[in-house]
Amino acid sequence: MRERAREEPEIEALRVDRYLESILVARDRGARLALLDTRLDPALRSTADRLSAELIRVHPSFRFEERLARRLADLAIGLRLPAVAGGEGGLPRSLTPAGGPAFEPGVAPGELLDPAQPIDDGEPFGGHARPILIGGALTSAAVSLAGAAFVAWRLSRPVHPMVRAIRAVHGRPGHEGGLA
Amino acid sequence: MKAEEDRREERRLVHLDRDRPLVEAALRNPEAFDGLYRKYLAQVYSYAYYELGSHHDAEDAAERTFMLALGALTRFEERARPVDGEGASTFRVWLFQIARNVVANIRRGRGRHPVAPIEAAAEMTGPVDIEAEVGERYEAGAAWAAVARLPEERRRALILRFVEEMSTAEIAGILGRSEGAVRVLIHRGLRAVARDLGGRRW
Repeated sequence: MRERAREEPEIEALRVDRYLESILVARDRGARLALLDTRLDPALRSTADRLSAELIRVHPSFRFEERLARRLADLAIGLRLPAVAGGEGGLPRSLTPAGGPAFEPGVAPGELLDPAQPIDDGEPFGGHARPILIGGALTSAAVSLAGAAFVAWRLSRPVHPMVRAIRAVHGRPGHEGGLA
Repeated sequence: MKAEEDRREERRLVHLDRDRPLVEAALRNPEAFDGLYRKYLAQVYSYAYYELGSHHDAEDAAERTFMLALGALTRFEERARPVDGEGASTFRVWLFQIARNVVANIRRGRGRHPVAPIEAAAEMTGPVDIEAEVGERYEAGAAWAAVARLPEERRRALILRFVEEMSTAEIAGILGRSEGAVRVLIHRGLRAVARDLGGRRW
């Protein structure tokens, strides 16, 4: 009896896990319905549904994304230079599992990545159209397309007559403040 | 015979991490790390945002995470095995291990606690029905506030599960726990949130 009482939470934890998996699978397939397990506590099920719908992904602003991309590019150039000088090119190690010890970013020995763990989906947006927040504004997952469209729109906009006039004045021969 | 089997095993390993082509490209030319950065920025930023509760701190955490990851990429060791299945990605687990530690350091350094991202919910655009919209924002804030009140490991497990949509196995890899322990963390976290939300009036 006591044994059964101890197992009960673990069994419920397994049911919850299976239900959460089914939510993801249903979403990946564009369906709304997840696994219906009548043995699962309705309070847990409705809370899972609610968190799944309301804890949306947040995206940084485009400005931050590009600024960090530039910083990473600068760091990458710095990392590449020594290798180029040595005639190797690239970073000096292959990915073969027989390589040296794994990098542990401040993780205690007991917290090592377990190679036995099955890992799945690594898609950034999980392959479905879930709303995300970009710097606080709700949008779709097509963030790069939106950015590209905005830049294209800016480039294709007709120049205001006043701007043309200012450019003409500044661009005259002998005018020192000519616009580039 | 054994050596041959090992070699065969290694050849199979080569294609298991779904990010392997991107990681190999970055190892050949560090500037190609941009591909991994673009792929995972939203996930890392999102995780940090839910953990730290502000866009500013999330930017800081994302920046540190990717700078560290690029600098340490040569020390990344792929550990996906055939049993992990097609499309496994240990790079994402490795990256989130870095993010987890960066976030923990920021929290320790600044002595801050997670706050409900009400300001983010308040900036949502969309429905014209103002009354319904305000209600939805408030409830979203309430749901997150309930998660934010959880003990650290339960909160972290729920964020990785619900926001990042990670599998139990991936979360176990990131938190350094067994899959069973992660299932219990999520179950207890969910139970506490259900109690919290059930006991409050909106």
